[in-house]
Amino acid sequence: MISQSGLRSKTVVSFGLAAAGALGTIVAGWSAWGWATLIWAALLLAAAAWLTRDSGFAPASASGDNAMIDNYLEGRERFGDAVLPVWCRHIENSRTQMEEAVSDLASRFSSIVDKLDNALHVSGGSGQGDHAMTEVFSHSEQRLGSVVASMKSAMASKHAMLAQIKDLERFTRELRGMAEGVASIAAQTNLLALNAAIEAARAGPAGAGFAVVATEVRMLSMRSAETGKEITNRVGLISSAILAASQAAEQSSDAEDKSMQSAEGMIEAVLNEFREMTDALVQSSALLKQESIGIQGEVGQALVQLQFQDRVSQVMSHVRANMEQLLPLLRENRQRYIDSGVLEPLDPDLLMHDLQKTYAMAEEHAVHSGARLAAPAASEADEITFF
Amino acid sequence: MGKTIMVVDDSASLRQVVGIALKGAGYDVIEGRDGVDALSKCTGQKIHLVVCDVNMPNMDGITFVKQFKQLPNYKFTPVIMLTTESQESKKEEGKAAGAKAWVVKPFKPEVLLGAVAKLVLP
Repeated sequence: MISQSGLRSKTVVSFGLAAAGALGTIVAGWSAWGWATLIWAALLLAAAAWLTRDSGFAPASASGDNAMIDNYLEGRERFGDAVLPVWCRHIENSRTQMEEAVSDLASRFSSIVDKLDNALHVSGGSGQGDHAMTEVFSHSEQRLGSVVASMKSAMASKHAMLAQIKDLERFTRELRGMAEGVASIAAQTNLLALNAAIEAARAGPAGAGFAVVATEVRMLSMRSAETGKEITNRVGLISSAILAASQAAEQSSDAEDKSMQSAEGMIEAVLNEFREMTDALVQSSALLKQESIGIQGEVGQALVQLQFQDRVSQVMSHVRANMEQLLPLLRENRQRYIDSGVLEPLDPDLLMHDLQKTYAMAEEHAVHSGARLAAPAASEADEITFF
Repeated sequence: MGKTIMVVDDSASLRQVVGIALKGAGYDVIEGRDGVDALSKCTGQKIHLVVCDVNMPNMDGITFVKQFKQLPNYKFTPVIMLTTESQESKKEEGKAAGAKAWVVKPFKPEVLLGAVAKLVLP
């Protein structure tokens, strides 16, 4: 610490000693040396003046140095006034931009998570969709199975009907045989009636009554023969009709069998395709769910990392606030010099102490002490303090 | 109807980060920029839990918790302090103000959600 009065006293003492020396020289040597003594004294004074000029402590130069110090302090203040607000604005602007950008980033992450959840919900990846899809498939399979069963049942009925129609053929054959039997009986009866008529004629008038009977029997046998023929004809017609119907039914049954087999095959193919599709959908929704969980985990990690902004922002705020204190400190330092003439060096502890008081994080204290730290890890569950 | 959690932090990005974690777990979220803003939003509605920062402008977290606990509707509402502060003296201040837990940032979402699930009002 150097005071203005200290400078002045040193200057006065130095110059006074030189003047006293010169005066002593004049007084002591005037009588003996005369003008030579005066010249020597002048040289002493000149030397004293030169020496004090070199040391900067001469009265005339001291006022000049004080002005220089004033100018320097004022310039230093102007420097701080010009530079510090700009630095602080840059820091604050960067801090604000970082906060806005990170906030926007967090918002976008939030949007991604929401969209992912919606996509998962729509695709049925939540599990309910998979269950519903499996149920729909099972229900459809059951309904189509019942359709196939009822078609098969109808086909079975048709086959039974066809068998009954074929049985009718057998009946018509029997009827034809019975008709032939009637015709044969009629022919034999006719022959008997003829023989009876012959025997009646041989008996003469006694056999006249019997001849009438024989004639009637013969007529009956002839009518029986005609009826037998008629039955045979009708049975033939019925048999032909039944045969035609049977053949038509058989052809229809064959076609229906083929259609039935084709339909059954197509239903099975459709169900297989549907099953493959639902299996693929279930697999893809399971994959989507798995990926979604993975992405949500990544987003969770990103959320942890994004918290750096809060910490960095705090540090930047603390440093900016501390930098803002430098200008008042420079002003105070200059004012103290003006008021007391005492030029004090700037004390860094004032600012550093205030800066330390603002620290909220352990890492700030560590960095202050010169440590280089990596970003702190996120708190674990056992690091929570419950009160 | 979901449970409502108030998040008080002067950092918009931190409010977002906490909000994403809480909304993802099915909670409704109310945000406060600082203690004053948060108190103005405590209008008697049901708040099941508060997550609060400590160092904030206008009104710090400790003062907020003290005043919040004076409000009749929120006397029993649990508060979790979520802060970069890890000094024991600060934790004691939080406890004295009425906070129920202290979580140091940065936090893992699942860790915060674990504390929330443990303390949230039924």
